[in-house]
Amino acid sequence: MSEQLTAPRFAAALEGLAHRVVAHPDGAAIEVEQAALHDVLRALRDRAGFAMCTFVTAIDHYPREPRFQLHHQLLSLEHRDRVRVQCTLSGASAPTCSDLWPGANWMERECFDMFGIHFTGHPDLRRLLMPEGYEHHPLRKEFPHHGIEPDKLYRDWDRKRREGWTETP
Amino acid sequence: MGSLKPVGPDQASDQSAFGFVATRTDWLINWGRKNSLWPMPLGLSCCGIELMAMLGPKFDLARFGAEAARFTPRQCDLLVIAGTLTWKMAQAARTIYDQMPDPKWVIAMGVCSSSGGMYDSYAVVQGVDSILPVDVYVPGCPPRPDAVIDAILKLQKKIEREDPLGRLLGSAPPIGSESGSGKLQFQPNFGHHKSGLDKHAHDPKARQAIGDPAPRRTEVKP
Repeated sequence: MSEQLTAPRFAAALEGLAHRVVAHPDGAAIEVEQAALHDVLRALRDRAGFAMCTFVTAIDHYPREPRFQLHHQLLSLEHRDRVRVQCTLSGASAPTCSDLWPGANWMERECFDMFGIHFTGHPDLRRLLMPEGYEHHPLRKEFPHHGIEPDKLYRDWDRKRREGWTETP
Repeated sequence: MGSLKPVGPDQASDQSAFGFVATRTDWLINWGRKNSLWPMPLGLSCCGIELMAMLGPKFDLARFGAEAARFTPRQCDLLVIAGTLTWKMAQAARTIYDQMPDPKWVIAMGVCSSSGGMYDSYAVVQGVDSILPVDVYVPGCPPRPDAVIDAILKLQKKIEREDPLGRLLGSAPPIGSESGSGKLQFQPNFGHHKSGLDKHAHDPKARQAIGDPAPRRTEVKP
């Protein structure tokens, strides 16, 4: 994959955009700044044939700062090629790519649910897995794996619906 | 107390000559209840597959009168929680339990619903007895249909010992919404699993929130 990344079509596609190619044991990745992320993704889709966004997720490097690194896995059916775009976020927000790939919509919702990363421009940024009203982001490193009061939402619901009930024998 | 028996001078003779039998009312009520359990299958994961096998012709739960699974809780008196119950699903499970008419019984099928099982996690209810009373627990991951049939037989034994008339007349404790043998209190397994290997809880604030302020692990330097 690293040879493919140096192929002319990548150079042409990413011309004029700040990026860096980093090597990984499983291939290579394109590392970009947060400001250039959306432009690089658009260029890879339009000019390098990456028609599919297969995965959007993040890595929490807590307690290192900046802690979040956003990963986009792209797939080109045309060139039978995959590439990873990784971006270190300065805070906990990032530009959405659901306008480029509609399929990224729910993946970004999951990423928001699990890591609390706000995707600006996302059409419907709600929790995907955890219940609405949940206050934490479980895949953040400071989150204990037993959770923080995991029964809180249930107990609140139970207490509320029991108001005015009388126990019948 | 025994079974139905004819009353008369010659008990071995033809029953139709007498036209009636005598028995104890509570025995008769319990006999009717235990042999016509209508299960409400709440199949939440792989246990649901074993539950379907149990209801099918091979294991044939009809032998014990409990094959009439209904998918509305209003018609059921046996709630079988088969699988992993998450806190998000807990509200639905409790609503289903409340919608079932009394008398009602609960079987926690599999280790997930009995104790949380291998899902020692923030998302999973650590035993459904945290939210509703359980009568019989079935171990196994998932348990074989035989094991669940055994649980139903044990539940029948339990129903035999009940006192339905006593409840009606007030000499036995009434059926409340929280009757049953479950502990009905959320008890996380902090004591057993908060160890030096717990790599997630290294944030002082999070530890404070779960009531364990002592650091178990050296902080990672940036």
